[in-house]
Amino acid sequence: MLNIRNLTKIYGDKKAVDDLSLHIAPGEIYGFIGHNGAGKTTTLKCVVGILQFDRGEIEVNGISVRNDPLSCKKMIAYIPDNPDLYDYMTGIQYLNFIADVFGVGAQERQEKISKYADMFELTGDLGQAISSYSHGMKQKLAIISAWIHDPKLIIMDEPFVGLDPKASHLLKGMMREVCDKGGAIFFSTHVLEVAEKLCDKVAIIKSGKLIRSGTMEDVRGDDSLEEVFLELEGE
Amino acid sequence: MLKLLIKKQLFDLNRGFFQDRKTGKLRSRTASITLIVLYALLVVVAIGGIFAYMAYAVCAPLVAANMGWLYFSVMSLMAIALGVFGSVFNTFSGLYQAKDNDLLLSMPIPVRYILVSRLLGVYLMGLMFSALVMVPAVIVYFVTADFRLPAVFGSVILIAAVSVVVLMLSCALGWVVAKINNKLRNKSLITVIVSLAFLGLYYVAYFKANELLQSLIANAATVGSKIKASAYPLYMIGRVGEGDAVSVLVTVAAAAALLAVTYLILSKSFLRIATGGSGAAKRSYKKKSAKAKGVNTALLRREAIHLVSSPVYMLNCSLGTLLIVAAAVAVLIKGAWLSETMTAMLSDFSGYIPLAVCAMLCLLASMNDITAPSVSLEGKSIWLVQSLPVTSWQALRAKLGLHIILTAIPTVICGICTCAVLRMDPATSLLVMIMPLIYIVFYAALGLVINLKMPNLNWTSEVVAVKQSMGVLIALFTGWFYILVLGGGFYLLRNILSANAFLAASAALTAVLSAVIIRWLKTAGSRIFERL
Repeated sequence: MLNIRNLTKIYGDKKAVDDLSLHIAPGEIYGFIGHNGAGKTTTLKCVVGILQFDRGEIEVNGISVRNDPLSCKKMIAYIPDNPDLYDYMTGIQYLNFIADVFGVGAQERQEKISKYADMFELTGDLGQAISSYSHGMKQKLAIISAWIHDPKLIIMDEPFVGLDPKASHLLKGMMREVCDKGGAIFFSTHVLEVAEKLCDKVAIIKSGKLIRSGTMEDVRGDDSLEEVFLELEGE
Repeated sequence: MLKLLIKKQLFDLNRGFFQDRKTGKLRSRTASITLIVLYALLVVVAIGGIFAYMAYAVCAPLVAANMGWLYFSVMSLMAIALGVFGSVFNTFSGLYQAKDNDLLLSMPIPVRYILVSRLLGVYLMGLMFSALVMVPAVIVYFVTADFRLPAVFGSVILIAAVSVVVLMLSCALGWVVAKINNKLRNKSLITVIVSLAFLGLYYVAYFKANELLQSLIANAATVGSKIKASAYPLYMIGRVGEGDAVSVLVTVAAAAALLAVTYLILSKSFLRIATGGSGAAKRSYKKKSAKAKGVNTALLRREAIHLVSSPVYMLNCSLGTLLIVAAAVAVLIKGAWLSETMTAMLSDFSGYIPLAVCAMLCLLASMNDITAPSVSLEGKSIWLVQSLPVTSWQALRAKLGLHIILTAIPTVICGICTCAVLRMDPATSLLVMIMPLIYIVFYAALGLVINLKMPNLNWTSEVVAVKQSMGVLIALFTGWFYILVLGGGFYLLRNILSANAFLAASAALTAVLSAVIIRWLKTAGSRIFERL
């Protein structure tokens, strides 16, 4: 589903991502962990086509992000670490805008908005301006908008930040559901317990370089993910 | 602490002069000074020049009638009107809606320091606008009447006193806007209506200015005695400009008192308004059926929603739409007068009437500069459009589209009305209409180019992107300059080309330029947008 080969992104004279390679298969939830500034967000932004990269190749379902970004973007949904949405729109205007851009039909979008907004208890607030939303409400809206067009690949940067426990639980269920249907999820997190319980595979990045990746069992062995992570960070 | 906050506020206000928006790197001292000088020249020469002209017309007759004070009173009133008009929209956003209010309030900083630093921002904005009238007025007085020490001292005090009055009135109006914002639904609409009413008054005064000034000169003695009888503070303000010691002392004391009262009132409500959510009852959303739209329509709608939801954006960048419609109505009502006046003014050059109408339509159209801050206004949510399956050109085209729709439709209406009233033949009418329409495309594309070259996505208030942007100003003046250049071109070619032929040539030239700019937007401009 997602194939990253030798990805390198340079800011000035600093390599933010250095020769990173990853492969995410359909049905996988792939966790991406690393310290602050390790290059997680940069990698995710390169995948979704927000950032141009200097070397390497990224393919979504066999299509190059560099050569055909639009086709890739049609298959992807992205939720950034800080949901800076269109404050000037109401929640429902925003969801309709996203649905229009992805060509979701009226009936289908209505069903999805109704389903997910009810799940996240956001329906009553959809008529309010996004500027009046709390961080958690914006995060819920970003999640609904990501799920509205049935993406094959969902990229999320710290998706659990700001969510209440119930919403976090719902999101985990939704993530599993996407993967059970053949989709894939690539997300960064600092909450190692969540990664440990939720992810099929995990990658650890340090100073732009991938230092370990594989199935959860391969990466952590007999230790906890936290112990492995701290050990690798200390090296 | 206060010094630090003031420094931050000043840096926020003038960041463009000191920091490259794209790279975030600080500019060299020479580059900063050059930019500041260029900006000052642009503003002072273009806008200050208008007021210098007005001041020059009034000063000598009033001074000759021994009523120099009346000159200063009138110019002070103008400065107050311009200052309040210019800074009132900034006051609400700058004081209560700054995005870093929460951050600063969470820090161990006394609230009064935050308020003072915010007030300083509002004050400087008001000072800038009022100085556009006062500085030329004072210079004209020095040149025409008196350049002795008391007058110089009094003038400096007068400029400061006027700026304090502007601050007080701006804060009072900003407070009203804040109350509206916190209490009512459809607040953008209400804010716009209130602002438009205010603006209407301003324009009525502006267009009547010449008539009023002539009447003032003719009836200076009567007006003067009336002011002394019923508006004595205005008389005192006028006397300050002449350097009268008592008036200076009284005015300084009054300005200090006004400043203190403004501060006290604001300090009582600042925290509550800045941190208070909407007091309006929350309207629960009821599920409704939605209609699917195409991508381009959705992007255009996004731009329209942004425009109408932001009073600052709407009032500063799309007011031309209303003014052009108002002009069309005025043309219909005053058609006979317009026809007579134009015929009388251009009695020996009746062939030039289409050119004059065309220039008027272009100037009116250039009052809309919707595209000029539109890229900056994407702000921190620019990631969204960059991550969606739309091309950069589609996003940019939607910005162009909104500008063109909101400007072209009223321009066509106004053009039809004017051509009908002036009884132009069909071919001339067509030329008169086509040139402004092409100019609208050119001007919209130009605004977008300039904003792509000078974007500011890191604003704390939309005011910064809309009103305090060098790019917007450059777009505005370039648009006007282009009309001026075409006018100059006709002057040079008047013996070779007829007015209609010149109009056709201008339209062709503008179309070619527009095509070149749009081509650039599709290619290099789109790449810039992708990398913002």
